[in-house]
Formats: sequence, structure tokens, C-alpha cells
Amino acid sequence: MTKSILLAAVAAGVLGSPALAQAPPPVPAKAALCGTCHGPDGNSKDPQFPILAGQTWRYIYIELKDFKEGRRKDPVMSPMAADLTRDEMIELGNFYAAQKPTPNGFKADSAKVTAGMKKSDEVLCPMCHLGAFIGQNEIPRVAGQHYAYIVKQLKDFKAKTRTNDAGNMTSVAGTLSDKDIDDLAHYIANLN
Amino acid sequence: MRYRTRFAVAASAAMFAGGVGIAAAQEVTGGATTTAKPMSSSLAPVSQAMLDGAATNANAWLHSNGSYDQMRYYPGNQINAGNVGKLRPVYTFQTAVLESMETAPIVINGVMFLTTSFNHVYAIDAATGEEFWHYKHKMGPITTFCCGPNNRGVAIEGGRLFMGTLDAKLVALDAKTGKLLWETQIADPEKGYSETMAPAVVDGKVLIGTNGGEYGVRGFLKAFDANDGKLLWTFYSIPEKGHEGVWAENDATGRNMHRDIAAEKAALAKDASFYQTLGGGVWMTPAVDKKTRTVFFVVGNPSPDLYGAIRPGDNLYTNSMVAVDLDKGTYKWHSQYIAHDVWDLDAVSPVILTQAKDASGKMVDVAIHGGKTGHVYVHERNTGKLIRFSEAMIPQENMWVLPTKQGARMLPGANGGVEWSPMAVNPKLRLAYAANLHQPMTYHVEESPYPGGKLWLGGAFKTIPGEEQWGRLVAVNLDTGKVAWGVKTPQPLIGGVLATAGDIVFNGEANGWFKAFDAKTGKELWKYYAGAGVNAPAVSFMVGGKQYVAVAAGGNNQIDAKRGNSVVVFALP
Repeated sequence: MTKSILLAAVAAGVLGSPALAQAPPPVPAKAALCGTCHGPDGNSKDPQFPILAGQTWRYIYIELKDFKEGRRKDPVMSPMAADLTRDEMIELGNFYAAQKPTPNGFKADSAKVTAGMKKSDEVLCPMCHLGAFIGQNEIPRVAGQHYAYIVKQLKDFKAKTRTNDAGNMTSVAGTLSDKDIDDLAHYIANLN
Repeated sequence: MRYRTRFAVAASAAMFAGGVGIAAAQEVTGGATTTAKPMSSSLAPVSQAMLDGAATNANAWLHSNGSYDQMRYYPGNQINAGNVGKLRPVYTFQTAVLESMETAPIVINGVMFLTTSFNHVYAIDAATGEEFWHYKHKMGPITTFCCGPNNRGVAIEGGRLFMGTLDAKLVALDAKTGKLLWETQIADPEKGYSETMAPAVVDGKVLIGTNGGEYGVRGFLKAFDANDGKLLWTFYSIPEKGHEGVWAENDATGRNMHRDIAAEKAALAKDASFYQTLGGGVWMTPAVDKKTRTVFFVVGNPSPDLYGAIRPGDNLYTNSMVAVDLDKGTYKWHSQYIAHDVWDLDAVSPVILTQAKDASGKMVDVAIHGGKTGHVYVHERNTGKLIRFSEAMIPQENMWVLPTKQGARMLPGANGGVEWSPMAVNPKLRLAYAANLHQPMTYHVEESPYPGGKLWLGGAFKTIPGEEQWGRLVAVNLDTGKVAWGVKTPQPLIGGVLATAGDIVFNGEANGWFKAFDAKTGKELWKYYAGAGVNAPAVSFMVGGKQYVAVAAGGNNQIDAKRGNSVVVFALP
């Protein structure tokens, strides 16, 4: 069954990938503001802000929409998204999806990486995020994301302070200990 | 709605929700992009009289399910139980789309119209397979669908074809050229609306429902003007008021559903605003009774599928058969099979209008439905009253145990019983034929608020490793509800059945075999290996006095049957 899942996932990824396979999208006007935290090309330097470069356009769009419509809350992002139009959100999604992610500079602990990989397989992260954590469709890329950001999101899912995941991540995160979260974040932040 | 085997956990399911950017993956979009051969001069407009008389017209196949009554009973008998063993392929038409095929082609004057995944349409010579034209829908940037990029076919009226699209549009094409005549947005794909069903068209109205029971949509059946795509009426499958129903304790067969009705009533008193996300997709073609000007259809599951606490009440009209007025779209009656469903055992397989004996033995007009529960339900057509339900066609166990966090085992699994697969009826033999699945599953619940158009199961369905899955083609007596015969198949059945006046039943299997059975006994009479999953309903028609049988072999996304891209057409030598 796992095999069929992964094969199908790959197929879906191929079919569903690039709404942007052609020319690189222009820099959206609103991206300047985003860039102050997320970096001009979406490669944020401050680990509390997620790297957006290389994220899937659909995920960025969905999260902006969730911020705007109140399903996801953040003191900075909620007001930022409040005034974005649908087209602006799609434009931003396409822009960051087309940027190249650069290494996050995180120094991973190899024992934690190994433990995190094991945990990842055990709780079936790759079923949605794929084995390389590159994401697909509405599922985000998390490979190479900042350690601090990954830890915060997993803890928020566990505490159910973030609940815009249709129950999938809150369900999985509920089974994770603080050590599991630390291990997983070491593993995922270390992926390229 | 429906689940593939690999909806093993809710999390895994979410990845199929996308499908974005499909349009960009195609090199050419929109319009009729290829013309291999000039359109046949015999193609003529399809009149309303022809559509009305389709059930007795052996030359054509004018509706996806054969006729407005949807019996899928081909009236010709040139190919019959005595000679079907000699049936041979005449041609294989290959589409350019290698993905799940659920299409029921329609055929008029020797021209066949068929569809593929991602909303391609082909017009081909029905006797030779040569291509007249190929239309590719220009897909919008956002599509949201759970169970494969499927399409189940077009409807025809006059010189126009009608198709629903994955990005929730209705398009009208010129049947001669494949050119787009008009398109209209049915609903917002971002909120989970999409179209895979074949529409029905009657008296200038195109009838179409919606998918989306896994995304928190508010389901409907809509009628559009065939001339210009203007909306004529909408019947919401979720009423704004009264969806709590009668607080039914038992299902339609009298089994207790273990509801905590006091808790549900308390929850409803707090918040009754959820009707806009309560689901209730109408995702298979409706039946039409012209005599009483009534449209009959079944309504799918409530949203979220497994987490019921957030949606107290019977959740009307989910999991029901519903009758509405053809001209105004107003409610006539409903009959609910499972109130407050938390197993996704929704009503899907299209309604069939036929006749059956009532309790007193009198032959009356009925509307029937093959359920995911594994029962065929027989209703009085005028009132909706349930006359009888058949013996279970597949194993049932532990009904209705409630889903738990850890998972509760119950049979049937969430795919059925009878999935979307249309049944067929042989009225002479008094038999309905149903394609069933047996997929043991555990049902898991997880609390989750409305996620804004993302896949919203509220838990998970898991197939049980080590437990055998199989299918069963079953003949049920309409007058008694008894199973007349059943044929076990090595894989779960999805696709649908064709019955003919030659007393044959045609049915395809996920392993690539397409078979003919003796309609009276279920004896296998003929088979052909199509090379990919045969998970679409067969059709039959004549060209130049010769009967043909056509079926798509494109595999299936939901049960992950081997993909193909073919329609295979057979005739006697």
C-alpha cells in the first residue's frame, strides 16, 4: 500500500506541479513588505520566520487565505494578510514558489537527525510531505526550513493553538513528545 | 463520497486534494485541438423526442445511463446469451490521457462522444474508432477534488454537448466541431466544488449537481439553460432550516445507529449555522420522470465525514433519495437511509426508475438505489416510501459501531457496497444488477474545525492489512429483494453494469478483464482482457445494422487499478 501511495503521490506531483513552469514571475508589489521578515527572495535569515523560497504556491496561497479569514492566527501575519486580494495572494505564492531556497545554516546534531528520521517514518510524515519533505499540492515543503520555526509549528499543532490543518497535523502532533519534536526538527531542518 | 484504498490516514488523503496547475501541464488548452477526419455527415441534432425515446432505440446510446429512467438496459438483442461467446474487439481508441476512466460514451448516428480525466472530450467514428475532434478544457488555476481527476461523460441535446469540469464549470460544445459555445461557473472550486458527473439534459435544461462532500461544501442540484448557460434554479441538498430532521434513531433498515441525541440537541441549540458546510454532494446523474415532471437523485455524505459532533441532527438531505420538481426545482419528497452518518456510507449510485411489486403484490412505479450499505432500496416513486430493501449483497459486521480515535472495525468499508457504479435492470427478468466492493476498514474520528476548503474528513478510514478485499456482481430480484445470483471477483468492483435484451450483463474488473454473464444465472459467457482496469460502465449501440458494445479501460484512481487510455469496442464477427 505504501508503494502505491508514494507512486500516486509522485504522479500527482508531476501533474499538479507547475502553474508557473514558464517564465519566472515578476516581483509582486506586496513582496517588498513580506521581504522585511522573509527576505527579499523568501530566504529569511531570522529563524522565527519561515523560509518561503521554493514553497509550493498553493500552500502559500492557502495559508495567506487562512490568515485573512481567521483560521490561522498570528499577531504579525493576520494583519498582513487582512488586506490582500485573492490575486495578490496567488501572485505572492507564485513568486516565492519560483525562488530558490538557500541553506538555512542550521548545525544539526547527527544523533537527533537519525532519531528524527526514524520518528518521521513511524508517524508517516512522508505520506503527505513526501520522503524528501518537498511537499505537494496543499501540503507544504518543509525540507530545509528553520529549526525554530518547525519546533514552534509542531508545538502549536500539539497544543491546538494552530488548527487550520483539517485535523491531520493536530492528530499526529498529539502523539509527539518534546524530544520527538526536537529530533524531527533537527532531521527536517537538515534536509536540502 | 469515496475513498481509495490508500486513504489510509486522513493525512495521506490530503495530498490528493490538489490537482492545481493541471492546465499548465498541457501543451495546448481550450478549443478543439485536433481534427483527424472530417465529421460524419450523418451526425444530426438530437431532438427531445429522441431523448425521450432512448430506452427503446437500439441504434443509439443517448444518455450516460441509457435513458432518463437510467435502467442501463440496451433494447437490442443481436448480441445475446447464445452468441456473445463469439464477441471480438473491432477497434481500440486511444486517448492522449493516461489516467482513470469512468466515462460512459454516448453514441448518435455512428458518432461516439467520450471523455477522459482532466475533461478532454473526443468525437470518434463509432464503427471504426477514427477521431473527428478532440477538445481539451482550459482548466482554471485551482481545482479541488478528492478521488481522482475523473469525468463520467457528456450529455447531448440538439447539436450541443454538455460537460461538467474539475474546476466546477459547465461547458457546452458544438457536437460537430468540438468548439466551446459557452461556459458557466457552477460554484467556487476553492471551496471544494468540482464536477465529475455526466449532466442530464431535458427540455432545454441541463441538470447538474456537485462533488465536495469531503470539503464542507453545501451540495445542490442546479438547472441551467441549455441555450446560454443561465442558471434556472437551484435545489440545495442541505436546507437552511430543518436539516436536523426527525432525530432518527434507526437507519432505513431498522438498525440502531447509537446516536447521543440529547447531546446533539444541545449542540444544535448552541450553533445551527453549519448548514453552509454540511456537505451533501450530488455527484451522479439524476433520473427524470417526464410524466410527473420529477427529478430523482441521491445525496452524498455530510461534512466532515467521520466527525459528527460538529454537525448535530439528521443532516438532511444527506444520505437520502430526493425528488424535486423538474420545472421549478422545488422539493417533493425525500427518504433518508442513514441519519447523521459518520461512516461515509453515503448514497451515490444513480437512481433508477422502473417498476416493482409493492407490499400487496401490485406492480407500481418505483425508484431504486443501490447503497454503499450493500442493500438495494426500492421506493414508491410518488411518495418515496420505502417498499423494501434487498438482502445484503456483501458482508455486514458490527453496524453501526461509532468511529473512535483508535479506530473501530465495521463492514462494509467506506466505499461500499455499491460505490458510484451505476446499476442496470433487466425488467423482463425482474432483476437489478449491482457492482459491489468488499473492503474491510476501521473508522477513526478526529476533532477538526472547518478548514476552509481543504480535505475535511474529521478522521480517517484505514483498510485492514491482511484482510482480503474482493468484489461481487450481484443480481437482486426487484419484487422480493432476494439475491438471485452473485459472482465473486478477485478485486473490488467499481465501474458499473450494462444489461441488454439479449439477456446478457456486461461488467468490467480492475484487473483488466471485461466480462459478459448470463443475465438469468450469472454464468460467465465471455471475457476479454483489456490491458488496464475496466472501471467504467459499458454501453451498446448499432451502426449500419450491427450491434456494438463499448467500454473504457483506463483503470481507476480510487482503487488504484492499472491506468490505461482506451475505449475498446466489440462486435460479432
